Amino acid sequence: MSAAQGMSAAPGGSLAAGPLLSVHGLTKHFPIRSGLLGRGSVVVRAVDGISFDVTEGETLGIVGESGCGKSTTARLLVDLITPDSGEIRLANRRLGADMTVRDLRRDVQMVFQDSYASLNPRLTMEDAIAFGPMINGMAERQATNLAHDLLSRVGLEPRRFAGRYPHELSGGQRQRVNIARALAFSPKVVILDEAVSALDKSVEAQVLNLLSDLKSELGLTYIFISHDLNVVRYMSDRVMVMYLGEVAEIGPVDSLYSNPAHPYTRALLAAMPSMDPDRRTEEAPLSGDPPNPINPPSGCRFHTRCAHAAPVCSSAIPNLSRLRAERHLAGCHMLVPGSGHPEAAAEARP
Amino acid sequence: MSAAASIAAMAAIEKSPGYWSGVLTRLRRDPVAMVALAVVLALILMAIFAPWVAPNDPYRSSMIRRLRPIGTPGFPLGTDELGRDMLSRLIYGARLSLLMGVMPVIIAFFVGSAIGITAGFVGGRVNTVLMRTIDVFFAFPSVLLAIALSGALGAGIFNGLLSLTVVFIPPIARIAESVTTGVRKIEYVEAARASGASGFTIVRVHVLGNVIGPIFVYATSLISVSLILASGLSFLGLGVKPPEPEWGLMLNTLRNAIYVQPWVAALPGVMIFITSVSFNLLSDGLRSAMDLKA
Repeated sequence: MSAAQGMSAAPGGSLAAGPLLSVHGLTKHFPIRSGLLGRGSVVVRAVDGISFDVTEGETLGIVGESGCGKSTTARLLVDLITPDSGEIRLANRRLGADMTVRDLRRDVQMVFQDSYASLNPRLTMEDAIAFGPMINGMAERQATNLAHDLLSRVGLEPRRFAGRYPHELSGGQRQRVNIARALAFSPKVVILDEAVSALDKSVEAQVLNLLSDLKSELGLTYIFISHDLNVVRYMSDRVMVMYLGEVAEIGPVDSLYSNPAHPYTRALLAAMPSMDPDRRTEEAPLSGDPPNPINPPSGCRFHTRCAHAAPVCSSAIPNLSRLRAERHLAGCHMLVPGSGHPEAAAEARP
Repeated sequence: MSAAASIAAMAAIEKSPGYWSGVLTRLRRDPVAMVALAVVLALILMAIFAPWVAPNDPYRSSMIRRLRPIGTPGFPLGTDELGRDMLSRLIYGARLSLLMGVMPVIIAFFVGSAIGITAGFVGGRVNTVLMRTIDVFFAFPSVLLAIALSGALGAGIFNGLLSLTVVFIPPIARIAESVTTGVRKIEYVEAARASGASGFTIVRVHVLGNVIGPIFVYATSLISVSLILASGLSFLGLGVKPPEPEWGLMLNTLRNAIYVQPWVAALPGVMIFITSVSFNLLSDGLRSAMDLKA
C-alpha cells in the first residue's frame, strides 16, 4: 500500500495540543414502550454521562460486564446511535459544530464482533472492502486495487481471497477482511467492539498481533472493547472500566491492573483466573447480575453489590477522583477524604 | 505497480461462483422443480404460439356438434356447449389465463417490494403509516376484495388485472417489510452506514440483494392464487367476457354440461390445476435452491 493511502492526513505534530478524541458527558437513554399508548416514561440508561479522552497513537481498552454500555458507547462514537446529550470532539473539531457525521465516520471506523454478520453475504471480499472508498468518491479501479493492497496487508493473499464470498472464509479470515474494510477509509481511530471475542484462542492471538502491527505501521489509535481482561491488558495503554453506563475507573493499564482503586475493578480483576497459586483470589467474588439499568441504584451504582458499601454510598453519587498515578481516576467514596465513608481517609480540608 | 502487472494480477484472481449461479446449479439438481419448470415453459410456449399449435379456430361454433365426448375424430378433447373445439380453446385460453395469473403478480411484486422495502428500511413513523395502510387491505378476504374491486370498476380484462394487482400488493409489501426489517439490523448494514453511504446506496448495494430472493419466492407462490382468482372473476362474469377463451370463463359456461359431458366440462379446471401446481412446485424448488444453508 502506498504511503498516500496509509496516512493521508498525517498530522505533523499539530495535534499535540489536545487529545485526538475527546468525549464529554456522553449520554444515551433508550425509551421503553409501555402503557396503552406506547408512550412510557421508562428509559434504559445505557450510557449515562461518560467522559474520556483518547490520545493519538494509544489504545484505550473498555471493559465491563454485559449490558454496561460498552457497545452503546462504541456506536455513539460513530453516530450509529445519536446521543441524547454530550459532545464528541475529534482533533479539536466538535461533532455537529465544525464536523459533520460524515467527517466523523471517515476518521473513526469500527470493527464489529460478529465477523459473519458484518459482511454482506452477496458481496465478494474485494467489493466489500472497496464499497467504502467508492462511496467517498474513489474510482472503482482504484478502490479495487486498494482492496487488494489491504487484503495483503491483513495477511490474506488477494489472488486467493479477493473473489471469495463470506461463507467461504473462516472466522479469523473474515475478521481480517473486516479490519481491512475499516482501514480502507484511512481512519485515525478504529473502534474494535469485541472484535476478537468470537474467535478461537489461537486465531485471536494472530488477529491481536495483526492489530498491533497495523497500529504501529499506520499510526492508528484504537478503542478496544472487550470483556476479556487479559486481552485488554495485552492490547491497551489505558483502560476504562464501565459499570451500568458510567465510568467506574479509568487509568493507565499498569497502574489500574496493579493498583485497582474501585471495588468493582478489584472484583473484576479478582475474577480473572490466575495461573499462580500464590496469587489466589482474596476479594469476595461478585455475586448476581448487575442491577437493571432502567432503575439504577441511587448514589453509587455499584453499592448494591459492593462489599464496602456504607450509608453514604446509596445517598451520594461519587465523582471521579484523581489518584496518585497520572491520569488514573476512579469514582468511589472511599477514595475521597471526608466523604463520610468509614473507610475513607479522615477529613482533609474543611 | 505498473498497469500491465496490475491487469495480470486482476486476471489471476480466483473468482468464486456467484450466488445466482449457485442457485441455478441447485435448482438443476431438483427433479420436481425441473419438471414443474418444463410444464410452465411448455404452457408459456403454448400460449405464445397458440395460432400454430391449435388445430381449429377456437371461435367457430356449430349447433350440430355440441358437447362431443373426448376422442371424437377431429376434436381430440371434444367440443363445448356451442360446438367449439375444446383443445383449441384450451390452448388459446392459456393466453388470457396466464396473463391474468402472472401480470398482476409481476406488477404487485415491484410495487409491493418498493413499499415494503421503504417501510422496512426507513422504519419509524414511515413504517407505521405505510404498514397500517396496507393492513386495511388485510381486513378483506382476498377473494372478496378482488370481486368488490372489479365489480366496482366494471367487467373487463384491464379492470380484472388492476383489481388483482391491488389484491396482491399488501401481502408482498408485508413480506418485503419483514425481510427488510430483519436485514436492516444486521451488522453489515450498520457497517455500511458507518461508511457514510446514503440510504439509497445502502438499499441498492446491501439490502436489495439480500431481500429480493425471499420476496421473489413468495411472489411466485402467488401466481397460482392469482390464476385461480382470475378464473374466479371470469367465472363470475367480472373478468374476461365471452366469447374470449379463458379457463375460468370456460368452466363457468360449461357448468350446465356437467351432467352431459362431465369430462369435457372438467378440462378447464384440469388446466388451472396443472398450471397452479406447477407454479407452486417451481416456487418451492426456488425456495430451497436459494437457501444458502441447505
